[in-house]
Amino acid sequence: MTFQELILALERFWADHGCVVGQPYNSEVGAGTFNPHTFLRAIGPEPWNVAYVEPSRRPTDGRYGDNPNRLQQFHQYQVILKPSPIDIQDLYLESLRAIGTDPLHHDIRFVEDDWESPTLGAWGLGWQVWLDGLEISQFTYFQQCGGIDCKPISGELTYGLERIAMYLQDVDDVYDLVYSRSGAGTVYYGDLFKRAEWEWSTYNFERADVPLHKRLFDDCEAQCMRMLGLRAEKGKGGSLAWEPWADPEQNADAPLQRLVLPAYDCVIKCSHYFNVLDARGAISVTERQRYIGRVRHLARACAEAWYAQREALGFPLLRPASAADRAS
Amino acid sequence: MPDFLLEIGVEELPSSFVRSGLRSMEAAARRLLTQHRLEAEVGVAGTARRLALQLRGLPKAQPPREETLQGPPWAAAFKDGEPTRAALGFAKKHGVSVGALERVTTPKGDYVSVHIREEGRPTGAVLGELLAELCGRITFPKTMRWGEGEFAFGRPVHWIVALLDDAVVPFEFAGVASDRQTRGHRFLAPESFPLADAGDYASALASAHVVVATDARRARMLELLTRAAEELGGVLAEDPFLVEECVSLVEEPFVVPGSFEPGFLELPDEVVVSVMRDHQRYFAVRSSDGALLPRYLNVVNTAADPERIAKGNDRVLRARLKDAQFFVAEDLKVVEASGFAPWRGKLDSVVFQRKLGTVGAKVQRIQSLAREFAPQVGVDPADAEKAADLCKADLESLIVFEFPELQGTMGRFYAERVGVEAPVAAAIEEHYQPAGAQDEVPPSALGALLGVADRVDTLVGCFLIGQQPKGNADPFGLRRAALGIVRIAFEGAIDVDLEGWVRASAKQYGALAEGKEEALTALREFFDARLRVWLKDRYPRDLVDACISAWRTEAGGRSLRDLRDRIVALERLRDTAHYGPLAVAFKRAHNITKEVQGGPVDPALLLEPAERELARVFAEVQPKVDERTEAGDYAGALQLVAERLRDPIDTFFEGVFVMVDDARLRDNRLSLLKGIADCVNRIVHFHLLQA
Repeated sequence: MTFQELILALERFWADHGCVVGQPYNSEVGAGTFNPHTFLRAIGPEPWNVAYVEPSRRPTDGRYGDNPNRLQQFHQYQVILKPSPIDIQDLYLESLRAIGTDPLHHDIRFVEDDWESPTLGAWGLGWQVWLDGLEISQFTYFQQCGGIDCKPISGELTYGLERIAMYLQDVDDVYDLVYSRSGAGTVYYGDLFKRAEWEWSTYNFERADVPLHKRLFDDCEAQCMRMLGLRAEKGKGGSLAWEPWADPEQNADAPLQRLVLPAYDCVIKCSHYFNVLDARGAISVTERQRYIGRVRHLARACAEAWYAQREALGFPLLRPASAADRAS
Repeated sequence: MPDFLLEIGVEELPSSFVRSGLRSMEAAARRLLTQHRLEAEVGVAGTARRLALQLRGLPKAQPPREETLQGPPWAAAFKDGEPTRAALGFAKKHGVSVGALERVTTPKGDYVSVHIREEGRPTGAVLGELLAELCGRITFPKTMRWGEGEFAFGRPVHWIVALLDDAVVPFEFAGVASDRQTRGHRFLAPESFPLADAGDYASALASAHVVVATDARRARMLELLTRAAEELGGVLAEDPFLVEECVSLVEEPFVVPGSFEPGFLELPDEVVVSVMRDHQRYFAVRSSDGALLPRYLNVVNTAADPERIAKGNDRVLRARLKDAQFFVAEDLKVVEASGFAPWRGKLDSVVFQRKLGTVGAKVQRIQSLAREFAPQVGVDPADAEKAADLCKADLESLIVFEFPELQGTMGRFYAERVGVEAPVAAAIEEHYQPAGAQDEVPPSALGALLGVADRVDTLVGCFLIGQQPKGNADPFGLRRAALGIVRIAFEGAIDVDLEGWVRASAKQYGALAEGKEEALTALREFFDARLRVWLKDRYPRDLVDACISAWRTEAGGRSLRDLRDRIVALERLRDTAHYGPLAVAFKRAHNITKEVQGGPVDPALLLEPAERELARVFAEVQPKVDERTEAGDYAGALQLVAERLRDPIDTFFEGVFVMVDDARLRDNRLSLLKGIADCVNRIVHFHLLQA
């Protein structure tokens, strides 16, 4: 099974199981969780089922294309099922069969692994899934997102596509993965990404402009606050307060006037700039906590604003399934 | 005698959740059964996917309850023949009409009473009402919600079996109704199937590939592991932690052996074991002479295709070992070129705690403390200084960044590689010991010295900035640090005078410690509390109190070894026949002379033979006892006291009346007893012992 067949098989499987087939987000994210399809949609009462590939960037994991297992950009396959169905584990195992892995012939285990994203103010409980000792997926029941308690609970399945493909294709080096094979020839993972790994590793570790990234972080933070109508509260350790126009208590229309999506894009950018600065070794341990705290404050504000906006819109996805839905 | 089974089917619980779930389930069952007048043999069993409670030998019904209860005084309950609120309330509380209240006459007056006779209800009905509460009392380290988010449990609940013999006991918990449908092994017997009878539980599950009793599962797993290790020509490396982890990870254990390239054995054993154990939960295999074999044992849940499973696991392990090998090689490049200096330098920019400065600053404080106390514990100050300087450097190594549990171990390894003298290198590793309750204390005085310096520095610093443990929160592990110091002094190579250390450490903190006497007092109290907790887990409470009290008064509560020696001496005495009588006699001597000034004994006033004998023996023994006490030989002192004083003091109290009217005689006898009480009180405060 080629890398792209693996993706196609998962797309087909989850589409057949009621998921919207989403798309990767067009901004640099560290994980599929950052995609608004997950972070924002996990908040509030509306049901939501989505599946998508997410190219995920982890600048510090770069190895210049030299390491057979580590990449600064890898691919997650992300599934959100909200509310989490009671048979979610069975669905997951069925999806493994759909990619040609019969659990009976392997050792599959659900190993405790609680998940927390300090920048997103999100955490959940769940497992790593091991296939013959290899961690192939993360399985999480979101308990909190953007500091807001989840209800209903989203079940998040995250497949590590490179690892699974390496297992299926029985190769020891990620760059030897067959990405696609057709009459036009065979394309390897290395053809697509080996040079990219070297360039981005060099950029992240050596050449990225530190003052520029610090400035970009500051600018995006300010922009995020403007879009939401936020200002920093004096003397409260970086906590944020609404401007009068954005404060629902002073302006009933505030929830719909705040620009949540552009603001949230800024959160994604800030998080990424922070990761680059971190890889560049430009952040001391004390600064680190402060940066993370700044992103978290913004993420929480976006989460709150998102909830208020969806509420003001009457939680549109709560509408009952129509007769036509049921007939299909 | 009916049997009952409750099984809660869940998604995979972590092993610590299985343990706490079963423990709390059993405790809740015992409490609720007692409350509801049901007696039974209580047992629990479980795996990651199920928690089960088994009650054997239940009665068919509760025994009837029959009792007479007394209520308010009659006069308060009935005024002019009419029931008052007191009477109505009492009747209501016990579910009877006012007409059922009777008048009883007691020595204290007339009271209302009621005779209650309640028939026992059938066991099934009682269980049906208490099961939901029982399930609600099961606790886990963390709970979670799922689906609509209405219920919380360790993991989502899928099914509940509640059977009283062959009948379902209906109730509902977490949105699931009880039934007789259970499930077998997730992969080997996934279909749900009915249980006919509570008594069939273990055997029915066994045929569905689930060994439900934890002990049986552990025994089978260990048997498989031992045999597999033998087949590989080695022995299983014992690992109780890993056994408990694995026993909860599988429902039916299988063992699949695997291997790695022998070249990886050039890595330190600890690295290989750490990679296998902490990351992959594999058991190591050693040859009969203790050397690691390039093999491992993997406990798995299904083993239809062991070769495929081994191949996959080998690949994962190889990648991880390769990573480790790479990190060690990179680290060696650094130390072989420039020693520990580059890492040590970096510590100056790593924050230990915002207000307490960098790790580099901490290392300097440890160094000063170690140098200062080295002579007291027979360590060369130059060695102490050197070891302290190196002790945290490996935190900057790549391998420790990836495998934090190898801190210290890798420091020792790299130090040896660059020719640091063996004792100094060993101290780098030892100073983290004891890392937990199961771990040993540092074997060498140098390691112990560093260990105490590091821990005292953390304790004093955290208390100075108000970071003492609160409730369950102990982010700096201060309880463990305090315990480590106690254990090093009690079991290890050096004595600890905590007060001296605290003062020296506070001085290191300079301005931060100024005017913070209160914080240091809080630390002393904290340490004292940890000391008592630790001691009381090991020795009887009164013995601990008697020794601590004497230690404080006589030795200023300074040397921890002094306390240990008192405790050990008293413990030894406790095992002899002298203990009870001596404790009684010394307690009496102490109590009777508490208010007495005391003074020289006048031999002319000793009339009775028993008091003459006691005075004679005591005069002879006292200097020797004092001498031994003085020298800290408490065991010797107590031995002398026991052997020589026991008979005379017993005979004295049997035959001599102390509190006679003649003041001169009385005071003389009190002086004699006072002298004896003072002498033994210097060793142990006998009056605090429960005779």
